[in-house]
Amino acid sequence: MSAETSTTVHSGLGAAPGHASGKAYVIRNAEDIMAVPAGSILVVRVLHPHLAPLLPRVAGLVVEEGAILQHATTLARECGIPAAVGIRDARSLFQDGELLEVDGYTGKVTERHVD
Amino acid sequence: MLDEVKEVGSIAQAAARSAKPYRRHIVGLPLQRSLFGQAARAATTIGLPGLSSELDFPARLDENGDLFLDRSQVAALTKALSSWFTPETLELMHTAHEGACDALVDASENAAARAAASLDGVARELSEDLANRMTLVLAYGILAKFVPDVLLRALADAGDVESPPFPEKSAGAELMQNTFELYQACRALNYTPQRLQREWPRVSPEVFHLVSEFCNRQTGFGPLAWESPGYEDPNYVVRLLHSAFDEVDAEQVRRRLSFAKRPVVARSTIDAPKKIAALRRVLGFWLDFLERETWYVRRAFYVGMIPLLQELAAGYRQKIPAFQPADLLFLEIRELAAGIADPAVIRTRRHRYTENTEYLSVHGVDPSRLATILGSS
Repeated sequence: MSAETSTTVHSGLGAAPGHASGKAYVIRNAEDIMAVPAGSILVVRVLHPHLAPLLPRVAGLVVEEGAILQHATTLARECGIPAAVGIRDARSLFQDGELLEVDGYTGKVTERHVD
Repeated sequence: MLDEVKEVGSIAQAAARSAKPYRRHIVGLPLQRSLFGQAARAATTIGLPGLSSELDFPARLDENGDLFLDRSQVAALTKALSSWFTPETLELMHTAHEGACDALVDASENAAARAAASLDGVARELSEDLANRMTLVLAYGILAKFVPDVLLRALADAGDVESPPFPEKSAGAELMQNTFELYQACRALNYTPQRLQREWPRVSPEVFHLVSEFCNRQTGFGPLAWESPGYEDPNYVVRLLHSAFDEVDAEQVRRRLSFAKRPVVARSTIDAPKKIAALRRVLGFWLDFLERETWYVRRAFYVGMIPLLQELAAGYRQKIPAFQPADLLFLEIRELAAGIADPAVIRTRRHRYTENTEYLSVHGVDPSRLATILGSS
């Protein structure tokens, strides 16, 4: 018997175009930035410029705070990393390792659950 | 003491106006918090409409380092700004903003150059001047939370259909490239990120020099809270290199970097109507500032303020034998400027700070960090 999956969709703003999927990695404190898994979807409150060197290793970005004009938008666009901003309480909504899909055009983040 | 009660009173009023913090635990050190406390006063010097007194400034910090934003003040300020934009006022705004940033960079370098040679009185004067310039840039940092959006709306209202004038290469993209170049240079000397982390600081003199120089150049990049480790700290950089480039294909990094180097095709503002051209120019500066707002103040702290504090600490130690250099971080800027240091007050503030374990954990601050940044560990 195969497991069924369900999805939950969270809506924000599309900040940098493209589609990405991967496992969530949530930054909750300063130490968390030292262990970002390659290919993950980075979930942050704000993407500050000092985190830029981590971007080449991530597949996508989910940012809690958000408007079209903010840190995450500039950086993600420059690096070609799909990003959704304005996903409120993202760091509480998502757990490390959970499968996420980011639509950087529409700002939708799809959470896939295995039931 | 009376001043503290007044401050707590005004903070409580601000908190009552907006019970939920806009951001929690952003700044905990009393010295840095006191600069935020003065940002309202600094903001009134900027000359924006709707900011005629400190009470109009929409942001306050409480003693837990939580930032409160008064949405009704933001709305009033936004409304006042929208009807104020003309090419002339925009030019004034741009000149003042750019001037504040440049003046802070100059004051930081000047403080660093003069600190070693200065007498106690001069160090005090320089630290007050540097702090004043920091508060002005902090005020712009608070305004950056909504002024760019107002400018973008004004552009749309003026009929501009172009995409926002994002920087061609942001501060973050430059940092990414420079960090990757450091990684490559270390690798060329047979130091993989793993080896570098394992052996640091007992590495070859060449690699030690590479990392140290990188830290000097990139000082200023890091979290908003000064004591949270950032690029001024070689240990942080060595760990970050491992985190950023371990198991990452160098070609993938180059692809990301080449994406960042793409030329931005934007309509020239030369032919645009005067107001649109002015709005785009000013917004372009704000968007670049968004990437550098923390850098300006953090760099000023590490490059300019720390040498001044080290200079001042010697004077305090003569008066108070048990005084530690890091105690200066528990003074407010007005106390520092006046030469006031009450050991009991410092003890109380230090205790309150170290008891806030949630704050310390969020910012990655270990017990020895404050002594380390004052160069006294």
